[in-house]
Amino acid sequence: MEKVKQKDLILYSGLIILGLAAPYLFSAFKVQLTYLCVLIVLAMTWNLQGGEMGYNTFGNILFYGLGMYLTASVQVGMFFPLAEWTESGGEKTFVHTTAQYFQGIGVGLLVAAIIPTIIAGAIGYAILGLRGHYFAICTLGLGIAAGEIAGGIEIIGAGQGFTTPPFPAEIVDAEARGKFFYFLSFVLLIGTFVFVKYIYGSRFRLILNAIRDNEDKAEAMGIQTMKYKIVGWMCSAFFCGLAGGIMGGLIGYIDSTDVAFDGREMGVFMVLMAILGGKGTLWGPVIGATLFHFFKEGLWTLILGWQYVALGVLIVVIVVYFPEGLMGWLREKYPERFGEVIDEKDRKAQVELK
Amino acid sequence: MNKIAKLFVTFISAITLALVSFTSSFAKVEGEYIVLGSAISLTGKYSSNGVHTQNGYNMAVERINKMGGVEVQGKKYKFEIIYYDDESNPKRAAQLAERLIKQDGVHYMLGPYSSGLTKAIAPVTEKYKIPMVEANGASRSLFTKGYKYLFAVLSPANQYLEVAIDLAVEKNGGKGVKIAQAFEQDAFSQDVRLGILDAAKRTGSEIIIDDKLPKELNDMAATLAKVKAVKPDVLVVSGHTKGALTAIRQISEMKVDVPMLAMTHCDAAKLSKQHGKKSEFALCASQWHKNLSYKDKFFGSGKKYAKDFQKEFGYDPPYQSAESSAALLVFKDAFERANSFDRDAVRDALVDTEMQTFYGNIKFGPGGQNVAKPMILFQVRCKGDDCENRVVAPTKWASDKFYHPIPKWSERS
Repeated sequence: MEKVKQKDLILYSGLIILGLAAPYLFSAFKVQLTYLCVLIVLAMTWNLQGGEMGYNTFGNILFYGLGMYLTASVQVGMFFPLAEWTESGGEKTFVHTTAQYFQGIGVGLLVAAIIPTIIAGAIGYAILGLRGHYFAICTLGLGIAAGEIAGGIEIIGAGQGFTTPPFPAEIVDAEARGKFFYFLSFVLLIGTFVFVKYIYGSRFRLILNAIRDNEDKAEAMGIQTMKYKIVGWMCSAFFCGLAGGIMGGLIGYIDSTDVAFDGREMGVFMVLMAILGGKGTLWGPVIGATLFHFFKEGLWTLILGWQYVALGVLIVVIVVYFPEGLMGWLREKYPERFGEVIDEKDRKAQVELK
Repeated sequence: MNKIAKLFVTFISAITLALVSFTSSFAKVEGEYIVLGSAISLTGKYSSNGVHTQNGYNMAVERINKMGGVEVQGKKYKFEIIYYDDESNPKRAAQLAERLIKQDGVHYMLGPYSSGLTKAIAPVTEKYKIPMVEANGASRSLFTKGYKYLFAVLSPANQYLEVAIDLAVEKNGGKGVKIAQAFEQDAFSQDVRLGILDAAKRTGSEIIIDDKLPKELNDMAATLAKVKAVKPDVLVVSGHTKGALTAIRQISEMKVDVPMLAMTHCDAAKLSKQHGKKSEFALCASQWHKNLSYKDKFFGSGKKYAKDFQKEFGYDPPYQSAESSAALLVFKDAFERANSFDRDAVRDALVDTEMQTFYGNIKFGPGGQNVAKPMILFQVRCKGDDCENRVVAPTKWASDKFYHPIPKWSERS
């Protein structure tokens, strides 16, 4: 066990060094790297429900959008009247000082982590009794409803959208904003990874897996499944809220249905990335999100106008050829490398049986 | 685990290599080309207007290049545009703006289509001090943010239909009117709404229906049912191309009688072609019309522009195309006056812009909006089955009298 950990340590420190150096090595790609971090976070948290617990949720976008609006609202509202900021589509402009900007975003992110978590608890209590498709459809509705509702609330800009506070002008370095958001998202990514890895080594994961494999049996074993399902979802909401808050600041403009509660894109992407990489694995969503992001950034502009067709083809290919994702495929191909002991005799016996 | 670690190392190094090979550097001016960048909606809900915009840009690039290009410090340069598809999504637009500037090394930007996307891109161009001439972001909140590198060749959105309300009040003998309105939930349409609210306040008019329409706009029957019941004097609808098409389709289907129908995006939606007589009498706000008497040496008059555009792309140019073409004329003019490729010099030259194009006069106000050009209103009129947009206001360019009130559906053949 200890030996494995040491090898992991090399891998992790390598990745962290790469992550820290990335914005300097690939200075022009800072925004894309920030997106990548956020995408990985979203895929990993989706995997907690979709992969580990077997509850395919389309509702995580709700927490992402909430986090976005909350961070921006707090950041503005802490120092200036929020209603005037958003009134008439943001005609009044107040200028945040450097200190105000960072204090605002700090408190904003805190709120963006806590409130979605509470809301996840409340909604989870109401709907996590649903199973299978019913749960999926219900959560799909949540995201869409949230978008429409947010589009009608005047104080957060309604249909006009919400321009988030601009990065303080006193910081002259044009690269500073990119670096700030990159490191923010990188810290979030590390936090999420550590947390999910911790869950992977805990009894909690086994319970989630038990729920996935047979919820009734799990209940019969004396597990209060509802409690664990809710807690699981709250964990996801915590990180999704933070991810949303960071993205809102980075994009600079929040639109109710296209940016915040963007179920059609982000909401689908997070599912797709987790499945591409392999749901129910620690590294699957990370690999899936990375590959997906590269595919998207690298190829989409080459096939201008056809990118969604290509995405559709990609989805079909994934589902048909890699139903278990890349990690699942690798695991099937090279089970030994995943630490699975194969009894040759047993394998042969199975082949003969077939 | 060891093998997985190895796998990862391979994976990461592959990514690193890919990234490094990506970072080929472009320049703002490459050889004889001045490279402009634009994220445009080629797919998604704004795709039709995105294409109008792109056609407008392309038409102007071709024309300017053909007629000698841009002369800076005695050397002739040609325009070239790098396009990306923003998928009608502000998040994507902001990301692509960053990409154009950081990865493609673009130093001058052309605007995207729609206010929402311009709102998303402006903070990025501002941050990197990249001059952006935009032709399709009309929301007035764009011009109150103190942006220094944003220049819009069009009039702000709140001015679109204010005149229509004034017209209605005038026809009503100077007394306030009853207004029913429905606007899409997006930055532009909501700004048009603000303009109407101001006009209503000013004229003592009353707003009796104030509905919001969803972004994926294809049904407004609920609003129209209310309109049928309460009989307003004016019905105002704004929701880009889809809004105009949906309104006409459902008004004719439901036979909604209303004395005056004011809209936006009629020409972009090719209403007079697509719906023919059903769209007759619709009053539309427009930034431009081919019958206006402005001129320049590249496109000649508006009529000539319309003819050339028709030849090139096979349809009558909506104002979205005309204003997009004008954006390039502005850039050319600014480059030549700045006589340099220094971004700040170009920006300063843009501030001092004062010129006439086939599209109208252009002079930028302190917020970056065009203050030298009025909005116009046209009305769809038909002769037999042949329908046309006729300018009815302001009187200076009016070719036809404003027809009021719209006859009832039972009286229309």
